[in-house]
Amino acid sequence: MSIRTTDAGRAHPDAELLDGVVTGALQWLDSMRGAFRLPADVATDADPNTTLKPLGELAELAQVLHALHPVAPVREAAADLFAFAWKETRDGELFAELVRGEPAGTYPVELYGVFARAGLRHPGAEELIGATTALRRWRVARDDHTRTLGVLNAEARVGLPPHARFDAVLACTGLGRCSEPWALDRKAAYGITHDVFHTTDWGRAPGRLPAPLADYLRLWLPAWTESWSEEQLWDLVGEFLAVSACLPDAPYDAGAWRRLAAARTPDGALPEIGDPPRRDADQQAVFTACYHSTLVAAFAATLARAAAPAALPQESERTP
Amino acid sequence: MAGQAQENSSLSTVVADVAGGVALALDGEGGSYALSALLAQRDTVALAAIRVLGADVLAPYALNGGAVRGGSDAPDSQVVRRALAAYPPGADASDVSLWSYRGLVEASRAFLPPGGEDWPVEPQAGDTWVRTDPWPKLAHRASQLAALSLPGLAPGLAAGLAARTDDLARGFVRAVRRRDWLQAAGLGRWLVRMPDVPDTLGLEAGLVFVHRMSGGDPRVSLHASAARCFPGGSR
Amino acid sequence: MATELTAPVETAALAAAVEGLLDSAEPEGIYRDTRECGGGLLLAALLLISPPTPRAPKTDAR
Repeated sequence: MSIRTTDAGRAHPDAELLDGVVTGALQWLDSMRGAFRLPADVATDADPNTTLKPLGELAELAQVLHALHPVAPVREAAADLFAFAWKETRDGELFAELVRGEPAGTYPVELYGVFARAGLRHPGAEELIGATTALRRWRVARDDHTRTLGVLNAEARVGLPPHARFDAVLACTGLGRCSEPWALDRKAAYGITHDVFHTTDWGRAPGRLPAPLADYLRLWLPAWTESWSEEQLWDLVGEFLAVSACLPDAPYDAGAWRRLAAARTPDGALPEIGDPPRRDADQQAVFTACYHSTLVAAFAATLARAAAPAALPQESERTP
Repeated sequence: MAGQAQENSSLSTVVADVAGGVALALDGEGGSYALSALLAQRDTVALAAIRVLGADVLAPYALNGGAVRGGSDAPDSQVVRRALAAYPPGADASDVSLWSYRGLVEASRAFLPPGGEDWPVEPQAGDTWVRTDPWPKLAHRASQLAALSLPGLAPGLAAGLAARTDDLARGFVRAVRRRDWLQAAGLGRWLVRMPDVPDTLGLEAGLVFVHRMSGGDPRVSLHASAARCFPGGSR
Repeated sequence: MATELTAPVETAALAAAVEGLLDSAEPEGIYRDTRECGGGLLLAALLLISPPTPRAPKTDAR
């Protein structure tokens, strides 16, 4: 696959770097389709963390690229990957199997929502989901409020009634509580980025972020981005850059973007932690080490590109 | 360089001892503080420790509006004079060294009896970095100069740093994330004096957290106590 | 100036030590997360776009 972005929109002052990140990532992801394929026992014995989760992420983020990226060839490549993911679910039949196997689970509904949002539906799966989500059992509070936001977002996508008030749940999360910014550990940091992604429907509706929370994020994102760049947790750095692009005026951290871009492999993958995997590492190990952060990089670059800040600040002028 | 390492380690020990004494005095409202009484021996290491801690060795005198204590030949004046004379900033001294020296001279003028002799002239110290440093570097330097946050010292530096309150607050976040308790506590001292510290920083809780997490590091305790004793914007 | 210093060599070494402590380099960052994080990414906590597999926490206590 080769994606040409020349002659496309150049509205973003750092478009060249951002488009390089997206196209590199898409080409690498495309070359890794085999690793995204679902095994025959996906609904029973296979580990969902290494099968459904990668495919679900691919679908969620490819759909965002398809919806928001200003460059047509990027949108087309993303649409192709999204169609591939839907095909892997056997046009949604997989979700009927998953719900039948695990009627109390939320993840089949969350994953189905990714496709339902794009109009890809499976009537059998939806009948089952209608039955399981109508139960009082479905409304029992879950362990993790951030996850509940994801379930609420899925309900909205599928067209189900919300089982709880979004605002009330958001208020209980790390973001809603405005956690002390110095007190975050990795888990809390992922929680906050996901609070934003669920609230904004993965960057499609940044205006849904309440102003005080946007102010909180604007103030502390530079510190978090810097701190986790030093720690070289590139997926989290990418998520922070994506969150930044969800804020009003989309503050753009050119220095952090350069460091993230420099952490990629020559073929466009971004390792999750530290240095790229060794060249002689086997394909599956490389996939596991890179698929998630590479998707995040493409996602963040797309949101930043679509947000198009007025001017690119010089690195030395970033502060004050 | 075994000799140098040894100097560092024995100096660090004395610095910690003196810092602990200052912290205790601040916690006890400074009633019976005397720097000279804190020094186990009046040797060159003790003088070096005074130079390292800078204005903070006189912090207890800044309590209660900085009432001048003792007569013109008070032992504290003598020992500080000797420290200033023994360890002037060299020709290639860093800005941090210059500022710290300035701070000790200013604090001596403010909090020690005038006596017969003049205090040394404050050296010029560069301040371009206050405006131009990226925030992580700025925060590191500001923390090294936390002693200058004592009331009335270096008003220009304090104003310059106050203009970058958000950046210092980000530095506090970064320092705690790195478990660099000393840097965090030093930044906390500047921040408690600044009028526009963001509420969401949770500074008060953060200083308690840093103090507890440091496991009793006397220099962190000194910063934590000073932050409690000298709150509120003086501008 | 009162300078009854008797050991200029010692003072020179200490002067270097003073400079070193005044303008000290930042210590290496120490990052450690709760061990609760490690196993939290199994199916029960499956989040889209969180790290793929439980990983050993990075706990270099330098």
